Amino acid sequence: MSDSRLARAGWRIAGYAFFLGLWQLASGTVLDDVLLPPPAAIAGEIAGIAASGELPLHFFTTVSTIAVGFAIAYVLGAAIGLLMGRSRWWEAFLGDGVMAALTTPGLVFALVTAMIFGLGNLGPVVAVIVTSFSYVTVNVVEGVRAAPSDLVHMSRAFGRTRTQLLRHVYLPFLAPYLFTAARYGFSVAWKIATLSEVIVGTAGIGFMMRRSFQEFNMTGFLAWVLIFFAFALFLERVVLQRWMRRTLAWRPEVAA
Amino acid sequence: MNDVAKIRVDGLRKEFGEVRALDDVSFEVSGQEFVSIVGPSGCGKSTLLNVLSGVEPATAGTIRITEGERRARLGYVFQSARLLPWRTVRDNLLFVQETRDAAVRERCERYLDMVGLAHTAEQFPGQLSGGMQQRVGIARAFSIEPDLLLMDEPFSHLDAITGRGLRRELHELWTRTRKTVLFVTHDVSEAVELSTRILMFAKGGRLVSDQRVDLPFPRDGSSDEVALARADLLRRFESLDLLAT
Repeated sequence: MSDSRLARAGWRIAGYAFFLGLWQLASGTVLDDVLLPPPAAIAGEIAGIAASGELPLHFFTTVSTIAVGFAIAYVLGAAIGLLMGRSRWWEAFLGDGVMAALTTPGLVFALVTAMIFGLGNLGPVVAVIVTSFSYVTVNVVEGVRAAPSDLVHMSRAFGRTRTQLLRHVYLPFLAPYLFTAARYGFSVAWKIATLSEVIVGTAGIGFMMRRSFQEFNMTGFLAWVLIFFAFALFLERVVLQRWMRRTLAWRPEVAA
Repeated sequence: MNDVAKIRVDGLRKEFGEVRALDDVSFEVSGQEFVSIVGPSGCGKSTLLNVLSGVEPATAGTIRITEGERRARLGYVFQSARLLPWRTVRDNLLFVQETRDAAVRERCERYLDMVGLAHTAEQFPGQLSGGMQQRVGIARAFSIEPDLLLMDEPFSHLDAITGRGLRRELHELWTRTRKTVLFVTHDVSEAVELSTRILMFAKGGRLVSDQRVDLPFPRDGSSDEVALARADLLRRFESLDLLAT
């Protein structure tokens, strides 16, 4: 098992080496190095941003937009998902609205919230909520519909209370769905947060991207993109996956 | 013994819309009996257990399950083990207990040991075979020290050899605890091997026969006496025309 783990880490590093190499080769040959600066230049730019003391302000502006927006979206999305999964009436009432939210391009919400809330942080937060809640909803609906009726029946037969049922049957059963919801929802949330900041931000990673764009500074632009990429990767690989492995340890395919 | 459950079912009827699942069923079970409920598919065997346990309401009739003055505590074994896959074997037993004090924990370990699975306490159900899972299910039902055990074809999903081993184990558990058991099965041999009494149901949920099984325990499922008793029962049942509604 650890052998295959090692091999996978090797392939992952090889993947990075391959694409960075390709990038290095293309820079200055396929595209002018102003349009495609080499990786080393971006790394230098990131170091410069870190040294300038700008990083924490913009980083935390964006992260807090996502954190607040996505937390609200998650609770809202899960609540709507529970309602829709458990009742056909609520599904009829809310279903098309959720589908509309799911299929509308994020840009539409970014623009609408920009017009309503103007410059500042509120627009991006609202944009994150309306864009990402539906991803949570559809996953929760699916989970609630698949609820294990035989285990519920068993618990009732043994006289378990509703609280016990919720804690020991429904929640553990829904956990994989909630994780999937968190991953999809989060990936959408961070995209829309940056996009919205590009339009109305007065600080944040998206705002810095806009500034780099206006200055036609591709090095700066890509540096901010990579900073965010590193953060998103950290959340997904380290935080979410570890948490998931611990919660889902009972599943043979997770334990392996 | 005080440890005796009594079931009194009187004029029990259960209908699902137009379909009659149980038709005017009356019987009594006194303590320490192992009663099998047999009959063709769709004769209301499982419905009877569901109604007795209160999962389904009866359409008419009365059910009294009492243990002395108080309501009897019921334990269940289902067709599939129905264990919580996200809890360890030990936690599956603890899940159905009213408290988690030392005595209760000790009791859970004891019943796990009785079905030979003490060593799996820390494992998840997914790591066990189907037969082992069903044994955990049986240990779980016994571990609440029920006054009455309801079992719904618990061995029907298992292969013949595993089923045979588990029947022997169940019989031993029953001999040691003498719990009152209602055991639904479609397998007459199984019923003859395990029971002190057999209730036969016919299509439409009619109770058509109530037989004692007067063979000494332990009974060997492949012995001549059991085969004879089984043949005798089947002949009687055939004469009752079970499929007529």
